[in-house]
Amino acid sequence: MSVLVWILAIPIVAAVVGSLASARPVREGAMIGGLAMTFVLSLVAASQFLRGQMPSAFGDALRLDGLSALVLVLCAFVGLLSALYGAGYLRRNDARGLVTTPMRREFYGLMPAYVFAILFVSMSNNLGILWIAVELTTLVSVFLVAFHNQATSLEAAWKFLMLGSLGLAFALLGTVLLYASGQTAGESLASLHWTRLMAAAPHLHPLTLRLAVVFALIGYGTKAGLAPMHTWKPDAYGEAPSPAGVLMAVGMLNAALYSVVRIHAISTAALGPEFSGSVLLTLGVLSVLIATPFMLIQWNLKRLLAYSSIEHAGIMAIGFGLGVRAGVFGALLHMTYHSLAKPVAFFSAGSIAQRFSTSDMSKIGGGTMARASLASALLIVGAVLITGTPPSGIFFSELIVLRAGFVGSHPAVAATLLAALVVLFCGLAFQIGRLVLGRGTAGNQPRGSVFGPNSSLAPLSDENRPPGLVSIDLALGTALAAAIVAIISAFYLPAPLLDLIHAAADVVGGRS
Amino acid sequence: MTSNVLTLCAAGMLVTTFLMVGQKALFTTIRLYGLQSALLGIVAGTNAFAGGGKDLFVTAALTIVLKGFVIPWFLMRVIDRIGITREVQPFLNVPASLLICLGLTVIGYRVSTGFPEGAGGVSHHLIGVALSMLLIGLFLMVTRRKAISQILALLTVENAVFLVAVGVTSGMPLIVELGISFDVLLAVLVLGVLVRRIADRFESMDVSRLSKLKG
Repeated sequence: MSVLVWILAIPIVAAVVGSLASARPVREGAMIGGLAMTFVLSLVAASQFLRGQMPSAFGDALRLDGLSALVLVLCAFVGLLSALYGAGYLRRNDARGLVTTPMRREFYGLMPAYVFAILFVSMSNNLGILWIAVELTTLVSVFLVAFHNQATSLEAAWKFLMLGSLGLAFALLGTVLLYASGQTAGESLASLHWTRLMAAAPHLHPLTLRLAVVFALIGYGTKAGLAPMHTWKPDAYGEAPSPAGVLMAVGMLNAALYSVVRIHAISTAALGPEFSGSVLLTLGVLSVLIATPFMLIQWNLKRLLAYSSIEHAGIMAIGFGLGVRAGVFGALLHMTYHSLAKPVAFFSAGSIAQRFSTSDMSKIGGGTMARASLASALLIVGAVLITGTPPSGIFFSELIVLRAGFVGSHPAVAATLLAALVVLFCGLAFQIGRLVLGRGTAGNQPRGSVFGPNSSLAPLSDENRPPGLVSIDLALGTALAAAIVAIISAFYLPAPLLDLIHAAADVVGGRS
Repeated sequence: MTSNVLTLCAAGMLVTTFLMVGQKALFTTIRLYGLQSALLGIVAGTNAFAGGGKDLFVTAALTIVLKGFVIPWFLMRVIDRIGITREVQPFLNVPASLLICLGLTVIGYRVSTGFPEGAGGVSHHLIGVALSMLLIGLFLMVTRRKAISQILALLTVENAVFLVAVGVTSGMPLIVELGISFDVLLAVLVLGVLVRRIADRFESMDVSRLSKLKG
């Protein structure tokens, strides 16, 4: 059996075992072990690809080319990280008596299932299957967003589901029209395989194809959270438990961009890079610009990260949309570094939110460094990493994208991006600096809690602990490990990973 | 003969969509959606008889059974369980809504002439109706308060997309079609569960109350 089938089967098994098992070691073991195995297998699949084989299954419906392999490895890695962090996260909530048995089943069932759906997207070669997989990610993650079952989380879940479904209806229309554009070309395409469409690209009916590309890009762009279809993102990220938030912010984002890029590649092959490129540039610039003011006025830590995620999605869309190979390479490098950096920020922010039972920064007050040292320190590291401050790898990828813009035919786009990046850096530095290092106001013990105003549960009481002592548990340990990996990766990116990025850039194409 | 049936069914779908816009009773709206889906199934079935391939028969059967009966039944059950008032309560009054939808239909038909098959014949009607339904579905989505009405709007958009699929491409590959149908069914189940949770917490399924998250 193909390795791809195993990669998909193992998370499903882990989800079933995790949701049925009653003993904690079994549940945690199923989730962590299962996703660790998935990650190892994804490395195996990627190395098979690099050795020149082309892993595929079900008559090429699942197929691993450079782009798939890169997204697969990144998503599987983030899946493993969020499994480790998720186990720690739930342990903490368990210790405070916040978790009921149905919630536990839901969590251990949904997390691996979500990873399954994301990985399923990343290896789809058939555009119909791709759509089905993206829809699956939406349906699974809705329950993760609604996990805490509060008024706000239900609101976020409803908006997320409505907007996501509408986006997917558009994407489906795009897929249908793409299929139609192949049929009107005179040669009947028997399937929706991406490879076939690429081969037949010059014969596709131009007008139908244009409509198809616009609908599909807007549809999958909604899932990627590109402005102006981004409005679900802050709500969903703010309300989802942090481990699921990471899967959305990195795994789902990568998977959605993967879908966007597949469509973009067909359009590039058939119509040249300008048409879909200009759509991507518009969405990308809008995303970066819209994220800027909201980041400056944000009051909620997790929503702050959501706007940062919109910004990064925008940068990648710009990189792909520039239509030159350097831009594509920069965007894929950005995807890689973003996948490594974002978990650090999310895990540390999640730890702080959990520690103070709220992610409302005005309620947490300033000076968290004194009260949650390691998490705060990691939050600073995370902020440095995601703003692209050297030595963050994102610095390099942003530089490549900017350079591709200035050198190519889009200096205005690059200039706008550069200006927005400066403001975004200042915004995030201001917000995180105020939170972590600001003067702590007396009596800023959390009043409300994320678990609802009528929750009688007090936040973690470790007032008696001597200051400066760093307590480390599974959740913070994962955050620390993620930070170390992210920092090392800025200086040393393993050669096979770099090969994968190059191979992925070859798939997308563009003028050199 | 075939083209007459197709045109008639497409026109019927458009009429049901307009009736959904004008209808105030929630149960009737759901039944109208069922009727609309059944007509979509007939369009697929007619195309299959006209030589569209065996796969289209499966599509037709699936559409009629799932969307014509199972999904409406499920939605009615959700409403029964929650026990809400069965009025639609739109943001905009009916005459104005109908007038806007008329405009949307004109736009839909105008756009459909751009298609290569849109020059004339049956496909023109199918695409025109589909695009009009798409626009009206979007309109319904922004003007309805009740969670169930929004779901129905979404399903109308979905039906419009399927009409394009049947009308323009004589059906998608079977495996894709099956997967999509399964996903749509799953989506309705998820929506139903979520509606029930919302109704439990807010004691209403008026989604305009979902307005706490901002900025």
